[in-house]
Amino acid sequence: MVKMTLTGNADKVGKEMSEKMSLMKIAIAGNPNSGKTTVFNAITGKTEFAGNWPGVTIAKKEAFLKKKFNPYRTAIKIVDLPGTYSIVPFTGEEAITRDFILGEAPDVIINIVDGANISRSLFFTTQLLELGIPVVIAINKSDIVSKRGDAVDLEALSKELCCSVIPITASTEKGLNDLMREAIRAGKEEKPQTAPDFPVNNSDDEDMARQKFVDEIVEKCMVKKRDATKINLYDKIDRIVAHKWLGLPIFFAVMWAVFSFSIGGLGGYLSEYFNEVVFGEIVPDAVNRFLEGLNINPLLQALIVDGVIGGVGAVIGFLPLIMILFFCLALLEDSGYMARVALVFDRFFKKIGLSGKSIIPMIVGSGCAIPGVMATRTIEDVNEKRMTTILTPFVPCGAKLPIIALFSAVFFPDKGWVGPSMYLIAITIIVIGGLLLKKIFVWENTSQFILELPEYKLPSMKYAFWQMFEKAKAFILKATTIILVSNTLVWFAQAFGWNFRPVEDQGLSILATLGRAIAPLLIPLGFVGWQLAAAAITGFIAKENVVATLAVLLSVASEEALNVPGSALTQFFTPVTAFAYLVFNLFTPPCFAAIGAMNSEMGSKKWLFRALAFQLGVGYTLAMLASQAGSLIMYGKPASGFVPAIGVSILIFTGVVIMIRKAEVKRIKLGVEV
Amino acid sequence: MPLSKAKIGETYKIKGIEGKDKVKKFLFTLGCFEGQEITLISKLAGNYVVNIKDSRYAMDENMAKSIVLSA
Repeated sequence: MVKMTLTGNADKVGKEMSEKMSLMKIAIAGNPNSGKTTVFNAITGKTEFAGNWPGVTIAKKEAFLKKKFNPYRTAIKIVDLPGTYSIVPFTGEEAITRDFILGEAPDVIINIVDGANISRSLFFTTQLLELGIPVVIAINKSDIVSKRGDAVDLEALSKELCCSVIPITASTEKGLNDLMREAIRAGKEEKPQTAPDFPVNNSDDEDMARQKFVDEIVEKCMVKKRDATKINLYDKIDRIVAHKWLGLPIFFAVMWAVFSFSIGGLGGYLSEYFNEVVFGEIVPDAVNRFLEGLNINPLLQALIVDGVIGGVGAVIGFLPLIMILFFCLALLEDSGYMARVALVFDRFFKKIGLSGKSIIPMIVGSGCAIPGVMATRTIEDVNEKRMTTILTPFVPCGAKLPIIALFSAVFFPDKGWVGPSMYLIAITIIVIGGLLLKKIFVWENTSQFILELPEYKLPSMKYAFWQMFEKAKAFILKATTIILVSNTLVWFAQAFGWNFRPVEDQGLSILATLGRAIAPLLIPLGFVGWQLAAAAITGFIAKENVVATLAVLLSVASEEALNVPGSALTQFFTPVTAFAYLVFNLFTPPCFAAIGAMNSEMGSKKWLFRALAFQLGVGYTLAMLASQAGSLIMYGKPASGFVPAIGVSILIFTGVVIMIRKAEVKRIKLGVEV
Repeated sequence: MPLSKAKIGETYKIKGIEGKDKVKKFLFTLGCFEGQEITLISKLAGNYVVNIKDSRYAMDENMAKSIVLSA
């Protein structure tokens, strides 16, 4: 490092120097689930996602220190890093920590030490101390330490490690003032960190000597009252919630409760009010009266009322539903239960070539597929990672919730099971899809699974509310930008013909011609009408668009709100084909933004293409099956397009059989076992 | 004896770790290496919940087999 600076030209050095003068950079590093992000949020006022399980933060996050903690004029930048047990990386996300610390050289490192496991955390601490950058240690969860009856001699610890040690409780912000004061002081002082001095014997390697050194310090500085090896209450809870047979039903019951509460319960009730009264009557009536008073061009009035308010309103109406879902999910994530879910699923996922680690991206994906796909970074095994990337978008994300809610409200008003059933279908698809992927592609699974089980805690209401409003903000932002723009375009495309003149008949519009070009592909699925094709296509820009586009297109046909039983939607669907259309929109590839995330995680265009083909194939086949077989069972006759459906089914079936055969041949050649 | 054959509630001394270097190194950073103590807390859904130092970890059978205990 020193050599590089010397050989670099003077300009560059000068620039670096001045940057350093004006800006102090403080990095937060520590073990997974030690509470780094909670500290980061508290001192910067950000609301980054911080779940109670290891590996939530997958990329570094930066923000400026809140004024409350910063007595100086100079801006102080805080960087939150993914957790790691060691500076030598084990998984992809840990590499970021090492690269950042070594490459970007922050002025100070705040090392968050998990008070509940000091001896393990100090291993990483000693590695940080060797970098020469001033380190301030924050012993987090100090409330847990004292509750256990353990005691840490902070002064002795500080002396042994040659740096300040501050006790904090990140969740209640206790000690953060002291911590930041100390960190800033260390940064101003710019005194290089003294590395711990421990003898490395010839027989032991360096790591072993380090562990011994840590053990000695712990011996000297800590009095432990609690015997960690004893079976405690949490272990007993684990034995129930992660039980061989009870684990899965408990998980389903919990998820069912969450989703039916947000889709059918309070969330559904509030959304209904929003959709029918606020965006169905109050707002459009008021705007209509206002615009009529202005004597505005009727076409422009239609754009504003039917296009903008109709489309965006149809999406924003679902805001309460989304807020309540995220509130419940945040409570659940904060409790520590999700790590147990990974444990429960490990056994089943093993059978399809995945491990419990894959469940975490999928749980994150129930909020949004983009961070879900990014969370696959925590998976070491490349095949397992690819498979998880392909399967994660099958979990219905928050953006798909409005589609679910709309279709269940219109077609299944008194069947509360339809909404949550989509999540059950998602899990089934993931299992079957995984089995299929394992058969189609040749790969070996060598992954071993280990996961830290965090202690349970009472979920923080404050954090859940925070998360809820953060998600609401993001949702409104999306609705008033991407969805607003695509809606305006959709409105124009359905109101104008190719000669750019308004059309009398929507069927002659630009959108109708485009929709008709795609519509034949949907015939085997029993979906008739260019409108349905158009809505599905706009869904790739953002999934909420499916609802918004249908709202715009059907507002011309009917004055009624879209989301009431018997609305204009019923002219296109029977309840069975409506269910199939829901399946189609939920389980075909995700929106473009999520496809982008898949692209960067896959790191290869070939695999991205395979993933998209697989997702499209699965969604298409499933929708076809639901539509045709469902109609046959429920109404005694198949949906329209039955003959083409048979043809397509034969094609898909043959294709899959050929791919499996090919893979078998390749497997024998390579000597890989399934 | 591998960890997969250990008794629930008992504490053992680790004799060694078998398998890939990467896994060994990772376990090492958790404090799971030769000479250290490990307690089997429960067997849940095919996984082994253990106590290493002051924390609980869940590992699958594959990994549990690679941890050798002194009997």
